[in-house]
Amino acid sequence: MKKEPQVESGRAIGGSKVWRVVQPILAVIVTVIMLFPIYWMIVTSFKSAEEAQLLIPTLFPKSFHPENYLYVLGRANFLKYYWNTIVMTAGILFLQVGTGVLAAYGFAKGTFKGRSAMFYVVLGALMIPLQVTFIPLYMLCAKWNLTDTFLGLILPEAVSAYYIFMMRNTFMSIDNSYIDAGKIDGLGRLGTIWYVLMPMSKATLFTVTLVTFTNGWNSYFWPKIIAKNEVRRVLTVGLAQLKNTFAGQAVSNYHQIMAGAVLTILPVIILFLIFQKYMMTGYSKSAMK
Amino acid sequence: MAGKPMLKPKTKSAVGDFLFVVPALALLLCFTYYPICKLVEISFTDWNLLSDDFTYVGFKNCKWLFVGGGAKYLWNSLKVTFLYSLGELAVTIVGGMLFALLFNRMSRSFGMMRAFVFMPKYVAMSSAAVIFLWMLNTEYGVVNYLLKLIHLTPVDWLNQKSTALLSVLMLTGWRVIGYGMMIYISAMAGISKDYYEAASLDGASSSQQFFRITLPLLSPTTLFLLVTTFLSSMKVFQSVDILTEGGPSRATEVFVYLIYRYAMVDFRMDRAATAAVMFFVILLVITIATMRVSNNNITYDS
Repeated sequence: MKKEPQVESGRAIGGSKVWRVVQPILAVIVTVIMLFPIYWMIVTSFKSAEEAQLLIPTLFPKSFHPENYLYVLGRANFLKYYWNTIVMTAGILFLQVGTGVLAAYGFAKGTFKGRSAMFYVVLGALMIPLQVTFIPLYMLCAKWNLTDTFLGLILPEAVSAYYIFMMRNTFMSIDNSYIDAGKIDGLGRLGTIWYVLMPMSKATLFTVTLVTFTNGWNSYFWPKIIAKNEVRRVLTVGLAQLKNTFAGQAVSNYHQIMAGAVLTILPVIILFLIFQKYMMTGYSKSAMK
Repeated sequence: MAGKPMLKPKTKSAVGDFLFVVPALALLLCFTYYPICKLVEISFTDWNLLSDDFTYVGFKNCKWLFVGGGAKYLWNSLKVTFLYSLGELAVTIVGGMLFALLFNRMSRSFGMMRAFVFMPKYVAMSSAAVIFLWMLNTEYGVVNYLLKLIHLTPVDWLNQKSTALLSVLMLTGWRVIGYGMMIYISAMAGISKDYYEAASLDGASSSQQFFRITLPLLSPTTLFLLVTTFLSSMKVFQSVDILTEGGPSRATEVFVYLIYRYAMVDFRMDRAATAAVMFFVILLVITIATMRVSNNNITYDS
């Protein structure tokens, strides 16, 4: 914790004027360093095998080789992995949002016996990660013949305690008078959720759902265990596999691996660039509660 | 947090309301609570993937893990996990704070830079890990090239015990530092300007202002980062799996990797389950302990 003076000494030396000049320069340098791995991935993905392995690396490809991408999509089967990832993520998203919003309504606005006790069941689940339960889960899925299936990929992630928790807090902050007004207009419970609660918590709903999407898309641990076979392999696992294919060989294929890395992150990064405001507050929002 | 007082009793709707939480609860019971019970059961058996039937063996697995043949791997993985956690905490809190001070200017260009610094958090760990694999490559990696440029000896980052964990931490650091920064920046935005004005009137230097005002007022944020980062860092798996597979000679074998190896490589479900139960207990103890601490946490702001 004693490195802060980097900032403060700027002020101490020449007052805040020096810092006002130094700060942007330093900030740009740090940003460039932080972006470099991403830049390096993109650049390498367009290089030829020979150029990727020059002892003096080139900062920019001498010739472009988009066929690296074609190879990864075709021969390395990334098209298939894309499909698998899309279906898995869509399934997780649909189920987590569905069960999450319904349960959040029940816990926030419902009146039934044992409501808070049951909510503790939800909170307790936050403390039991997949890294603990994956062995019995794997057995369970094997017994139900769910290995290498979409259901096997999706079901253990079908409900998110975090999602329920966030949406319940948001719904609770909405005044009951809105719900009563809706009732007068003849809204049932589902109508209340759809026409009153969800529109009124749009921002949180959107943010938390984006987090759910990226978590699903980027998930690795469970898919690696349950879908070892190529038929249901997802992108993250396929990418790691791509590395293993060439391990131990004299010629490495990092130009192709980097193309795979770009393909894996592309949808999420595009989402991030469009919705960065939401996606950056998504984490701080969950942090501040 | 306290629920609003229910104005009208809605007895007949109770069952209807209950139905809304049933799907979520059913799934949680089936895919979270049932497995954790089953896990405890397996830990008392001699079950492995190769045979169908099993017998109960009491605390045999426990013994093996703690004092028998598995003890040295267990303590090793606890040590590695702890070191890793310390590293991730340092990057998130110290690094995040430094970045927050550096990027804490409210202008459009700084906003853009903040987004870029935060972006690695959204780069899938798989991609991030293979990028670092490539950058840290011994012969063709750009990091070693830069080292050679300034006349240092290239480092065999991932294949020697002394630098393997450090390499994993570099990858982690790249992904989490922007997160620490964002949390601190949004907390800093909540500190009233009055404190600083009053302090300047009293002639406090900027470093005094930082250590006497900013840092103490951010202590709840720091505590929050400490607790959540510590818990999530315990669960590290993917970076290790892709970068080093626990090696070289178990120098990066974190706890989850140990469980994973027992289960999916050695097919010793019994031992893996025992280790997983222990892991769960550790997580639980940390959670309860930190909840106690957060309840007594000191806040200086009104």
